[in-house]
Amino acid sequence: MSIEQIEDYVEVNEVSKQYSENGQVVDALKDINFKVKKGEIVCIVGASGCGKSTLLRAIAGIDNDHTGNITVGGKKIAHCSKEIGIVFQEHRLFPWLTVEQNVGYALDGVDKEDRKSLVKKYIELVGLAGFEKSYPRQLSGGMAQRGGIARALVNTPPLLLLDEPFGALDTFTKISMQNELKRIQKTSHTTMIMVTHDIDEAVYLSNHLIVLSSRPGKIKKIFEIELPEPRNRNSYEFLEIRKKVYEEFFEEATVQEDYSI
Amino acid sequence: MNNVLIKKVVNIIEYFLLIILIISFWFVMDAGGKLNPVIMPSPSKIFHTFIKLLSNGSLLQNALVSLLRVLKGYVLASACGIVLGILIGLSRHLDRLTQLLVQILKPIPPIAWIPLVILWFGIGESGKIFLIFLGGFFTILINVIDGIRQADTKLAEVSYVMETPLLKQIFLRIIPGAAPNIFTGLRVGLTSCWMCVVAAELVSSTTGLGYLIMNARQFGNTDIVIIGMITIGIIGKVMDSLLKVIEKKVITW
Repeated sequence: MSIEQIEDYVEVNEVSKQYSENGQVVDALKDINFKVKKGEIVCIVGASGCGKSTLLRAIAGIDNDHTGNITVGGKKIAHCSKEIGIVFQEHRLFPWLTVEQNVGYALDGVDKEDRKSLVKKYIELVGLAGFEKSYPRQLSGGMAQRGGIARALVNTPPLLLLDEPFGALDTFTKISMQNELKRIQKTSHTTMIMVTHDIDEAVYLSNHLIVLSSRPGKIKKIFEIELPEPRNRNSYEFLEIRKKVYEEFFEEATVQEDYSI
Repeated sequence: MNNVLIKKVVNIIEYFLLIILIISFWFVMDAGGKLNPVIMPSPSKIFHTFIKLLSNGSLLQNALVSLLRVLKGYVLASACGIVLGILIGLSRHLDRLTQLLVQILKPIPPIAWIPLVILWFGIGESGKIFLIFLGGFFTILINVIDGIRQADTKLAEVSYVMETPLLKQIFLRIIPGAAPNIFTGLRVGLTSCWMCVVAAELVSSTTGLGYLIMNARQFGNTDIVIIGMITIGIIGKVMDSLLKVIEKKVITW
């Protein structure tokens, strides 16, 4: 495989999706084009209902009723596969299985020894060591989501999709989970595409930040974020980019405000 | 600490209060000479008869016979109900194939089956067990089907995304998810089985609590009738409590 092929690991080409609502055709996604390089974190930011989760589900291969092409590692996505891990907004761990069993659930056709060491490795990676035998109800929201991430990573998928994974967590837990995700990505080199409505989160995490507009769900702008690591959320450069992204969403509102007095 | 103790005592009193009140009322009525012994024997009469039945072993023996019958019918009903329920719950085709038949058979009370059962099985043990089986089977079946149907779609999506093999999904996702409903079915089913044992023992029986009751009725021994009834009630309650304990042990999440 040549370097160029590896470079653009995920390619989304002319992806559109329509559905009808009360007899009217609505564009859920319209002419979506973007590429993700190997090892990148890309965040898709948009208001709720803009189709960002729909886009993620299309990349995952869960829904296939769209036009256009999505390729991952040069292969067209037609259905789900172990090559793509997914973390949902809720941890979605099986309540009747321990953390260990939940993570192991994702593994099929792996012999006992490998299974054990893989499960151990990823539980340690997400910082859940010591909680192997705990049930999800015994974990806090953030810890349970760590379990969800471990389960998604245990098959060592080259691509991880995250659908608002920290949306249900409180601010402090959220920030520590964002740091954790960066740390995990540094170790595992997993390419990540994350959907979020949190602008701070997106600026902090992404190499590329995609702004999606609502109805039709269209790419409004793609920011390339080249802040030095570790990123400082209060640095001038960080706030500058944050402001630019913010303006993509609220420019109309600002104009109206100026007009009023 | 003291408060906790008082609360506990109050709870226990509440638990038994209604029964104590009923028995007290019964004593008072008896003391006032208001009870016709044929219609409602006095508590002391019942107690004496109870001791007599215990010491000559007939109560224990009949209870044991009924218990064994209930267990046989119940185990059969549980096994069939759970296995078929899981299959029907998993397969839309099987569901459509069986739905109408199940819905028509379900409302038929086991007593209505007695003539057919005698013709089919004769008057031996198997007919009685079949009747008890009928009593529990449909209740268990329908609860299991419901449980399997109500599987969490979000967890199903997780399995779909991971391409988890079907058999693994059935044992690790679907059955545990249905466990609370399965247990509800098992508990309600057990009660139904006990309700059927008297009907089952109407079929020319010479043993069992149902026989004890029906035989006593013919001789006007209301005391024995009441003792038989209470015995069924208590055994049923104890078995239900046992199932509850097992349920708590199994469903820890």
